[in-house]
Amino acid sequence: MSESLHQALDLSLFWEYRNVLLHGLAVNFYVFAASAILALLVGLGAALARVNRLWPLRALGTLYVEMFRNAPEYIMVVWVHFVLPLLLSYLIRSRLEFNPFASSVIGLGLVYSGYFAETFRAGIEAIPLAHVEAGRSLGMPEWLVFRRIVLPQVVRRMLPESVNQFISLFKATTIVSLIAVPDLMYDVTMITQQEMRPLPLYTGAALTYFVVVLAGSSALRALSERWRAKIYA
Amino acid sequence: MTAPTIKVVDLHKRFGPLEVLRGVSFEVRRGVVVSMIGASGSGKSTLLRCINHLETPTSGDVLIDGESLCFRNGVDGERKPRSLAEINRIRRNLGIVFQQFNLWPHMTVLGNVVEAPLRVRGLPRKQAMDVANACLARVHLAEKATQYPARLSGGQQQRVAIARALAMEPKVMLFDEPTSSLDPELTEEVLGVMRELARDGTTMIVVTHEIGFARDVSDRVMFLHNGLIEEEGPPEALFGAPKSERLRQFISKHLR
Repeated sequence: MSESLHQALDLSLFWEYRNVLLHGLAVNFYVFAASAILALLVGLGAALARVNRLWPLRALGTLYVEMFRNAPEYIMVVWVHFVLPLLLSYLIRSRLEFNPFASSVIGLGLVYSGYFAETFRAGIEAIPLAHVEAGRSLGMPEWLVFRRIVLPQVVRRMLPESVNQFISLFKATTIVSLIAVPDLMYDVTMITQQEMRPLPLYTGAALTYFVVVLAGSSALRALSERWRAKIYA
Repeated sequence: MTAPTIKVVDLHKRFGPLEVLRGVSFEVRRGVVVSMIGASGSGKSTLLRCINHLETPTSGDVLIDGESLCFRNGVDGERKPRSLAEINRIRRNLGIVFQQFNLWPHMTVLGNVVEAPLRVRGLPRKQAMDVANACLARVHLAEKATQYPARLSGGQQQRVAIARALAMEPKVMLFDEPTSSLDPELTEEVLGVMRELARDGTTMIVVTHEIGFARDVSDRVMFLHNGLIEEEGPPEALFGAPKSERLRQFISKHLR
C-alpha cells in the first residue's frame, strides 16, 4: 500500500478529535430535526392546498411545490442566509439578520417541504373516498375525518418514501458548514487547517455519515414495516 | 298513529343530463323495516345516499322526526340550505352500512366502533367503550375487538360496520346492498344479524338483492324503477300478486 493511501485511511487523527467531531455531528442532528419538522408542517400545508376544491389555492400550492422542489439545497441555504434578510429588511424597513442555524433550517426546510408536499398529496389521494364517507355518515366534521381517518393512513402510506427523503435531508445537512454552522463538516475543515491532513478526516466523516444514515434508515424501515404489517395483512 | 321517523318528500337527483331520481316520496314509521328492490340503475343506492346526504339531492327534502335535513328556516322565514355542520348534526340520527364495509384499516375493530361515540357523541371514554363493546356483542364479534379489520372475513367486517353504525344509536339504519360484495356462504351471518336488529324493533331501510330477506323480514317492500317507486306494499302482496309487469319480470328473474 502506498504511503499516501495508508495515511488517507488512517483514522487515528479523526479519533483524536472525536469530542469536537461528535459535537459537530450533534449539530447536524439539530439542523436535521428542525428542518424535518418545518418541512413536514409546511409540506402538509402545501399538499392540502394542492388537493383543495378552490383552484386558486391549488395553483398556489403547485407553484410553491415546483419552486422549492426544483431549487438546489446549496443555493437555497445561501439565498435564505444572505438575500432573504435583505429583502425582509427592505420590506419591514429595519435591519434584519438570520443566524446561520436559522438560515440552514429555513433553507433546507423549504426545499424538503416541496418534496414532502408531493408525498403527502399522493398519500391523501390514495385514501378511498369511501373511508371519508363512512366518517361523514357518522356525523364526523370534516377536520375530524381528516385528523382521525385520512392523516393516520397517509402517514403510514408515505413512510417508506419518507425514509428516503429523511436520508436525503440528513445528507443535505452537510452543506450548512458553508454558512458557518458548526457541524461535522465545519469541524473537519477547521481541523484540516490546523493539521494540514484533510484526507483521513474526510474518510472518517464519510464513515460516520454512512453508519449514522444506515442505522437510522434501517431502524425507521423496520419500524414502518412493523406498523404497516398490522394493517395491510 | 305515531309521526313518521323518516319522511322523504319528492326527492330528485340529477347527475348532469341523467335524472337518477325523478320524484320519490315515502314515509317510514318507527320500528318498521322497509326493503328497496329494483334492477341496478333503478336509483336505489342513490336514494339511500341522498337520504343520508352523502349526495346532495337536486330538489326535495328528507325529514327526520319532522326536522328537515336539507333546509332550515331563515330569520325571514325563507328556506335556506343547511350548512355542513348542521347536516352533520342531523345525520347522526342515520346509521349507514355500505356495500364495501368501508372500515378504517388503521384502527382495531373496537377502535372503529368506539370512534363516533367518543368523538362525535362526546361520551366519556369508559362509557363510549361500554357502548362499543355492547354493539360488538350485538353482532356477535365481542372476541374480535382487538383485531385489525384486515384479519377479518368479509362477513365479519360487515358486521363490524353494522356495530359501528349502531354505536351512534341512530333512529334509522340504512343498508346499501350490505351483502352484495360477500361470498354466498358469508351473506347468511350478516342477514342473521340484520334479522335480529329487525326483531329488536330497529327502524331499517334496506337496499337489497336478497329477495328472501325482503320477503321474510320487511314490513314493506318498495320496487324502484327508473328513479320512481313503481310499486310498494307489504311483501305478501308485492311478491304474491305483483301488479306491474316490470316487477313480475324482476321477481321471476330473482326467484328461480
